[in-house]
Amino acid sequence: MEQFAGIMQDAKMQKNEAGVDYSRFDNIEEAGNSFSSFENLSLNNEDLGSLKAVGIHLFDNASPGKFLMYGADVYRSIPQIPGVEIIPLKEAFKIYPEIKEKYYFRAVDKEQDEFTQTAFNEAANGYFIRVKENVIVDEPMQTAMFMHREMSTMCIHNIVVLEDGAQLNLITGCTSGCSLKGGLHIAVSEHFIGKGAKLTNTMIHNWGADFVVHPRTATIVDENGRFVSNYYSVKPPKYIENNPSTYLRGKGANAKYLTVLASFPGTYCDIGGTVLMEGENTGAELVARAVNHGGTVIQTGLLIGAAKNARAHVDCSGLMLSDKGIIEAIPGLRAAHPEARMSHEAAIGRIDMGEVNYLQSKGLDEMQAIALIVRGFLDVDIEGMDDELRKTIREISELSGHGED
Amino acid sequence: MLTINNLHVSVKQKEVLGGVNLSIPENEVHALFGANGSGKSVLISTIMGYPEYKVTRGEILFRGQNITELNIDERVKLGLGISEQRPPTIKGVKLEYLVNLLAPEKMNDETFRIKMLEHFGMDKFLNRNINDGFSGGEIKKSELFLLLLTRPDFLVLDEPDSGVDPEHLKMIGAMITEILQKKKQEGERCNPQARSSGLIATHSAEILNYIHTDKAHIMLDGKICCSGNPAVMMEQIRALGYSYCIECQHANQEEH
Ligand SMILES: Nc1ncnc2c1ncn2[C@@H]1O[C@H](COP(=O)(O)OP(=O)(O)OP(=O)(O)O)[C@@H](O)[C@H]1O
Ligand SMILES: [Mg+2]
Repeated sequence: MEQFAGIMQDAKMQKNEAGVDYSRFDNIEEAGNSFSSFENLSLNNEDLGSLKAVGIHLFDNASPGKFLMYGADVYRSIPQIPGVEIIPLKEAFKIYPEIKEKYYFRAVDKEQDEFTQTAFNEAANGYFIRVKENVIVDEPMQTAMFMHREMSTMCIHNIVVLEDGAQLNLITGCTSGCSLKGGLHIAVSEHFIGKGAKLTNTMIHNWGADFVVHPRTATIVDENGRFVSNYYSVKPPKYIENNPSTYLRGKGANAKYLTVLASFPGTYCDIGGTVLMEGENTGAELVARAVNHGGTVIQTGLLIGAAKNARAHVDCSGLMLSDKGIIEAIPGLRAAHPEARMSHEAAIGRIDMGEVNYLQSKGLDEMQAIALIVRGFLDVDIEGMDDELRKTIREISELSGHGED
Repeated sequence: MLTINNLHVSVKQKEVLGGVNLSIPENEVHALFGANGSGKSVLISTIMGYPEYKVTRGEILFRGQNITELNIDERVKLGLGISEQRPPTIKGVKLEYLVNLLAPEKMNDETFRIKMLEHFGMDKFLNRNINDGFSGGEIKKSELFLLLLTRPDFLVLDEPDSGVDPEHLKMIGAMITEILQKKKQEGERCNPQARSSGLIATHSAEILNYIHTDKAHIMLDGKICCSGNPAVMMEQIRALGYSYCIECQHANQEEH
């Protein structure tokens, strides 16, 4: 029975075993520049490839505004669309002093924990994005956080404001490049979605094996606003805890979360989301998919129905591709109003060998068959998903075809 | 081309095939008859190499090579192909994904698209998940369509006709004939008779109107009890039921 001793504990206890020792990381770097344009940036092909792997194409001109934090340096291109802004946060505070009062630590509580406190104390830089009333941005806006120094600490603070009726499709790629092993990434993100506005936020992570990542994200959605959050982890860090909160304040507001990740030995991923449905007729859906090759995965979803006709559904599914490792699905529902309607489903299992054999009998080899099944498992219908992102999913699935190594 | 010697197969520790002997020469297609539960699907799945069917004795030779221990994909590489009686549903995997992996070049080939995809009405299934919600007849068509992509040298078809309406039966027949025509089409040989070989498990005589079969075998309780002319045997089964087998076993032996 000894071998099960660890498993009998709450899976969250496993995080202690992930052994996060923060003293290993260097202090947060001083900003190198206040900001600069992309012409002044030179990246080698390896770095460009790493950015592509997280959905970011810096030199593709179609994108309406881009933003890159390369270590402590900030680069950006100015959006050519009237009513669309992307500005380094520190600069934005100088240009629009009023936004600090209005948005800064207004969705995330700065006292939440040591990481939000760090971001506050360090006055962390990041992006400020604002889309003015009724402006609809068709092309996705691309932002990237690139860590390029071994054992460095990156601490950022991002704010996105969509005024009433505005629409934005935002892609944020976070990566440590191909060769970096370790570092600490802290990121506070606050989103404010106005009446009838819609934000699709797609986040793609690709980390080195010894990274520790602490995103702290909160979103406030006003009447009939919509928030779609897609999270893909191509390669997980050693430790990540990502549990964004969404507050559906206005009537008819709506949120949809999707998280897709593959986990490997020695990693700990606690990925989920909490949605508080405060407004009448609000709706929330949370879909989580995990493929585990031997790490610890916790899928936490908590939907809280606190208003009339709040509708919520959580769906957590996991595929175990290894004998080692843990997937713990915690699909949570909390009704705080008699007329809230809520449901959940959760399924964890190993890959069906009958399906693998079937695909083999059609002419695939075993790797191809597994990758295809995993791809089908991960390929949930996603809003705001373009071909590039589909390719990312395919990459995650192909990693699965290669088994445990 | 395919020779099976004294094949014993167990499923979950229970013997299901008790010494099957069967030989199918090159360019021949044989029919496999037999009552429900007699072991036809088990034989076909064992030929294909499904691991839940354990060969406890005997051997399977393909073109003289012993393939008894080979994996499914190794057998496919050697030229075996299967159409299953009840294939699984694969959630989230569009038929198109599989087709693109199996034969990317064919999907860009205009002639193939018109002659095969549209002609056999498979275009509207590409966007659907594999076998998910397919009707009985649609499953059969999809199974055969996948074989059309790879055109194996030896086909094992497990009831490709069951649950298929008369009109579609014609199409199923045409698909099988098309798959069998591999060699002629690829011009490997000048012999117009040359075609792929195969074994078709079926309960109906109708399909045999569309595909020429050279010989038939009847399976009874995990053994092949008699073999002969497909049409004649089917007539007998119709008239007398499978119990006729037991009696005919002797007659059949005298014939040889
Ligand atoms: N996976 C399995 N587990 C348990 N028993 C099995 C399994 N597969 C086959 N069998 C048994 O083996 C015997 C032969 O089955 P098989 O499917 O080969 O019959 P069949 O001749 O194809 O019948 P049908 O005409 O109904 O398709 C049956 O008794 C069946 O229940
Ligand atoms: Mg059968």
